[in-house]
Amino acid sequence: MKSARGLLVALAIALLADFTLDRVIPDSSVRQLAMLACCNMVVALSLNVINGMAGQFSIGHAGFLALGAYVAAIVASHVHLALGGGDVTFARSLIVVPASLALAALVAGAFGFLVGLPSLRLRGDYLAIVTLGFAEIVRLVIATARAGDQTWLAKLGGQTGYAGAEDAGIPLYAGPFWIIGITVLAIVVAWRLKMSGWGRSIRALREDEIAAAAVGVDPTRAKVTAFVVSAAGGGIAGGMLAIMRDGTPIVQPDSFGFQATFDAVTMVILGGSGSVSGAVVGSLIITLSVKAIELLQATDAVQALKASYESLDLNALRMMIYAALLVTLMILRPDGIFGEREIRLFSRAKRDRADSTRA
Amino acid sequence: MNLAHPTRKQPDLHGEPLLAIENLHVHYGGIEALKGVSLHVDAGEIVALVGANGAGKSTTLKAIARLVSSSGTLRYAARDLTSLNAEAAALAGISLGPEGRAIFPTLTVRENLELGAYGHRDASAMKETEADVVALFPRLGERMQQSGQTLSGGEQQMLAIGRALMARPSLLLLDEPSLGIAPKLTELIFEAISTIAKSGMTILLVEQNTRVALSASARAYVLRAGENALEGSSEDLAKRDDVRAAYLGG
Repeated sequence: MKSARGLLVALAIALLADFTLDRVIPDSSVRQLAMLACCNMVVALSLNVINGMAGQFSIGHAGFLALGAYVAAIVASHVHLALGGGDVTFARSLIVVPASLALAALVAGAFGFLVGLPSLRLRGDYLAIVTLGFAEIVRLVIATARAGDQTWLAKLGGQTGYAGAEDAGIPLYAGPFWIIGITVLAIVVAWRLKMSGWGRSIRALREDEIAAAAVGVDPTRAKVTAFVVSAAGGGIAGGMLAIMRDGTPIVQPDSFGFQATFDAVTMVILGGSGSVSGAVVGSLIITLSVKAIELLQATDAVQALKASYESLDLNALRMMIYAALLVTLMILRPDGIFGEREIRLFSRAKRDRADSTRA
Repeated sequence: MNLAHPTRKQPDLHGEPLLAIENLHVHYGGIEALKGVSLHVDAGEIVALVGANGAGKSTTLKAIARLVSSSGTLRYAARDLTSLNAEAAALAGISLGPEGRAIFPTLTVRENLELGAYGHRDASAMKETEADVVALFPRLGERMQQSGQTLSGGEQQMLAIGRALMARPSLLLLDEPSLGIAPKLTELIFEAISTIAKSGMTILLVEQNTRVALSASARAYVLRAGENALEGSSEDLAKRDDVRAAYLGG
């Protein structure tokens, strides 16, 4: 199997990166950016299942990210404590990371099931409102818990955020091996999902529900499964963000506001709804452009401008550039960079051979 | 070509026709679209359902495919069909080539066809049927990687029929395969339908184009305003000018 070999090579590179990345890239903010790009890819890939492939407009992905982030942070902190605290080692990450991310996926997936149920009756704007409401509820329930209360919710730190068990900081176990490895795996899984019978069936459902039912697709099951898969992926992505090395040892509710959802939706639409390649490229562009705009804000010219105009809001500048970029792209390529197409890494002959052996 | 080779076992009919409808009623809101339609289709038969616009032809097919709810007797393969939903009916071997070529526009031709086999997903059966469909409609074979929306109207109709065949159905329902298609392509499509019928497939064909429908079928039912008006051998019905004038809109 050629693709299996490719996957092994990718994992080997990721493993190598785990031990050498801080020497290859000495600047920790650049490392952080690279890891963030990976996490964002998983964010976009997971959202793409529901918004792109299933064609349901969800704007509540931040809710699943938040659930995943908090669950992963809690699990990582407590497992770390149970292992006796101390240093974050690679050997321990083999236990901590899978446990945290699996639980993050499980919890987010379960909520995905609950949010998915109304999607059977609601469409378009109405579903968007439900999903947005869900994300805001998650964020606000966490944020409004009063510190000092003895409830378990208050232990999440309310508005200030959760900084691990006994406020010791979240142990950042997910090194490059995990972040890169999971991202590669997520790309492969997303690809296989899209091309699988199930992927075809949810894309068919998006196009024509009656015709899909007439070929034997169960709309209820397919839609709810799409929500669960997307939410579980979002949970993993949130978990990765929470415990990634070079990240911050605290998770805060404000990281999962509407802006987070908006960024995720932008990545998917920019790359091309329904396209796995698009989600990868879109998330890269958004991650890098946010960084590029930050760098731009730090330049002397902009700082001088800020000095002479007190009221100038540099964040507004960021949104303006962002908006201009999006509007231009939508004019030039209304279906996103890729539309629903993919970058094919294999030749057509190979693909056809793969088709003939596929179950 | 052996199009009537379902992966599933041929249904055990216990002496009943493959499809038997008695006194079928369908309401759309307050409007009664079907007011007691009765018909039967034996295994291996090709039967046409003709009638003027609004006679209830498509509604009858939709009721059989369980896309609309109905009252009255609806039996398929010696079992009650009314308790099934659309997915279950499709899995039981009822395959609908829907009206207006309801293909999946952004999916490729191949993906459209493979979706037709959603019910069994047997890889070798899928490949085999796909080859049969391509032999039947060579144009589809040339366009496997194209998205459905780039096909012409006639090609989309071929795809809709091909997709219905991919399920390896026991009962093929075709809803207006000539609708909005150039006469030359209609001819091609009806030649293909004859080929499918000759291979032993049971077909219930709904058509407004009475002439082609009657020449392609062995028996026919004429519907008028949601009720049975006439039935008989297609040959006889085609000869009767009064039938055409009275029920079929010229």
